[in-house]
Amino acid sequence: MFFDLLRLILTFPFVFILPGFFLLLAIFGGKDGRLSFFEKAILTVPISIISVDFLVLGLNRLHILINGPVLLGTTTAFCLLGYIAFQLRFKKGGKQKSDGGEAFQDPFNFSYWQTIFILISLFLAIFIRATYLSDTIVPSATDMGHHMFWVQKIIDTGNLPNYGMPDFIIGEHIPFAVVNLLSSASVMGAMPILILFFVNIVGIFTLAMLAGRIFKSSKVTATAIFVVGVLYAINAPQGKYVSGGVVGNVFGNMLIPVALYFLYRALSEKDSVFAGLFIFSLTGLLYAHHLSAFILLYSIAAIVVAYLALNLDRIFKVIGDWIKIFLKPFPLLFLIFSILFFIFVYTPSYFNPSAVAQATGEPTKITRTGLDFNQLEMNAGSARLILGALGFVLLLTAFKRKEYKYSFALAWVVVLFLMSWKPGWIYVNVPSNRIGNYLFLPFSLLASFGLAEFLHFFRKSATFFFSTVLLFILLFFVITDGLADSAEVFKMRPQFQEAVQAFHSAQYLAEKLDTSRDILLKDHVNIYGDSWYKLFFMQDYKYPLSRGMLSRYVDPTKPRETCTRDMITIPETETAKKCFLETGVNYVALNAQLEGNSFEKYPDFSKIYSSNYIAIFKRNN
Amino acid sequence: MSSKIIIIAAITLLTVSFSILFVIETKNHNYDYGKTWSVVYFENPSDNSLDFTIENHLGEKAEYKYEVLAGDKKVIDKKVEIEAGAKQKISPVIESAVDDERITINVRFKDTGYKIYKNYK
Repeated sequence: MFFDLLRLILTFPFVFILPGFFLLLAIFGGKDGRLSFFEKAILTVPISIISVDFLVLGLNRLHILINGPVLLGTTTAFCLLGYIAFQLRFKKGGKQKSDGGEAFQDPFNFSYWQTIFILISLFLAIFIRATYLSDTIVPSATDMGHHMFWVQKIIDTGNLPNYGMPDFIIGEHIPFAVVNLLSSASVMGAMPILILFFVNIVGIFTLAMLAGRIFKSSKVTATAIFVVGVLYAINAPQGKYVSGGVVGNVFGNMLIPVALYFLYRALSEKDSVFAGLFIFSLTGLLYAHHLSAFILLYSIAAIVVAYLALNLDRIFKVIGDWIKIFLKPFPLLFLIFSILFFIFVYTPSYFNPSAVAQATGEPTKITRTGLDFNQLEMNAGSARLILGALGFVLLLTAFKRKEYKYSFALAWVVVLFLMSWKPGWIYVNVPSNRIGNYLFLPFSLLASFGLAEFLHFFRKSATFFFSTVLLFILLFFVITDGLADSAEVFKMRPQFQEAVQAFHSAQYLAEKLDTSRDILLKDHVNIYGDSWYKLFFMQDYKYPLSRGMLSRYVDPTKPRETCTRDMITIPETETAKKCFLETGVNYVALNAQLEGNSFEKYPDFSKIYSSNYIAIFKRNN
Repeated sequence: MSSKIIIIAAITLLTVSFSILFVIETKNHNYDYGKTWSVVYFENPSDNSLDFTIENHLGEKAEYKYEVLAGDKKVIDKKVEIEAGAKQKISPVIESAVDDERITINVRFKDTGYKIYKNYK
């Protein structure tokens, strides 16, 4: 166990830090004042993840088998190339740029008390999440099971899979496969959750970094780490998305602030290097998660439109400036690289006109028509919503239309609010609750600004007593509401017993069944961790068959397959018997306490396996 | 300097929590660690064989009672002791098993019963 852990811990920096570190070194050198140590340390992780994704996609295109030694060599070669580029550019006569306009206003140079505050926030952020995850660390989450099936496919075949469906995106699976191939850490272990946990924590920093740059304040950076890391640390899309294996969202929540950070710096500092890195991170996000990329593209459109609308009198100058920033060799190089990658190396499975048409336009389902205010409040969190509104108002009071920070902070929150509340107004046709999960990003940004400004305002207030009382009332509300979900963590009961029994039954079936002729149906409704069954068989993605949530069988827009439901719910009816014949299902895995008991009365079945939690029946020939 | 302290603290906290979570997962992924369950299953589910196995994951040595019924008639009634974490394969021999509609194996530990059966008709 100790060596497995050591291998895994050593693999993390190799995959998630070194590639990004050397790429940043090649681009900025060692002493460039444009990036502080804090920013460099944070950016190495998202840039590493994107770089490793591109490397693996390239290997696959060249038909090179993806395995441990190949990945070790390729990643090392990439790092060496970065180092050589650094040497050529900056050591042998190359000039090192020492500052970048705004670099002297370092929003990441923290005071003593700010450092203490950040350290406490960081400790709480990690402690609350780790405590929550300790009860869910044994693999069981449905989404994670589906994702890990594809990861295992990459590991087993050495090639990237052809999904045949737009639900999965390759960038969601490459990092897990790479870590497994380098460290041997099983996908059916702690590794997947640890990676998501790591990305989630880095996501706190990326949003804090964006907030720090936009508001040019170390106070706002420190407050952002508290607002994103500590408040609602368990609710979706934080701890629950980590344990639930909602891979794309967790990656997206880290990468969206990174792309906006580079865009902000490119535009506000007229810096083409940041413009290139913006294109790089946007491309990385397109390979990592479609919905996050969709949200980002809408956010960018809103920011651009807002800035142009606010500067109509000099619109041609603004557009001319932007063209000058992006029509430089560095961003053009990244743009051409991205386009060629899309066309010749790997096109994401969702990248087609019909998928785009499906996501845009008038909402076609009731679940896509928007959230009401209660749902919006639940998604963003009451405290975050109130602080965000406070930040919104405070920002408006100091509004300066020429400064990018106002367009970035205000347009981002407005567009995401509209996408969640009235998606039809801006032609968004995506489930509203899924968009609502992104509300925390712009609201956290504004909430951090609001809280920092609020504290500043009351410290300067003449009536010290009055201001202190108000401050404590606000903080009491923020902390009690924001930590309410974390308190639930300590009441949870781990379901390890159920999970291992599900695994045992899957192992039994994998050993006894001949998958070329035996068809298994399992019950997703009442078996905990059932989605991991498919990892024991590694056949088709849809093997074994599954009775899904009952609401999924009712769809007024189109008829749904109902056999997987009927074969478990009403197995003795003619309808179900016909289904058994059509599907060839001859094994059924059930919760022993629920359908497992009722199945015993059907003479067509033999009961071949019985544990406290799982019962397996075989249909007689 | 403050940034360096924060980044080092983050790495340290993450490494410690990763290690703890890794150990928790590894221990709990085990069929026996902190668990109390048993399982009974046929060795050959697709033929007429009655060989079956009892696995003890109760965390202690346990004495299981098992009985074999041909139809409603009890033909075997025995006990077997199994060590914690161990399994015991049992091959019951009865006459003309397939002549009966159903052969049932009832296994019991204290108040908990585990039933498996094969329907032949």
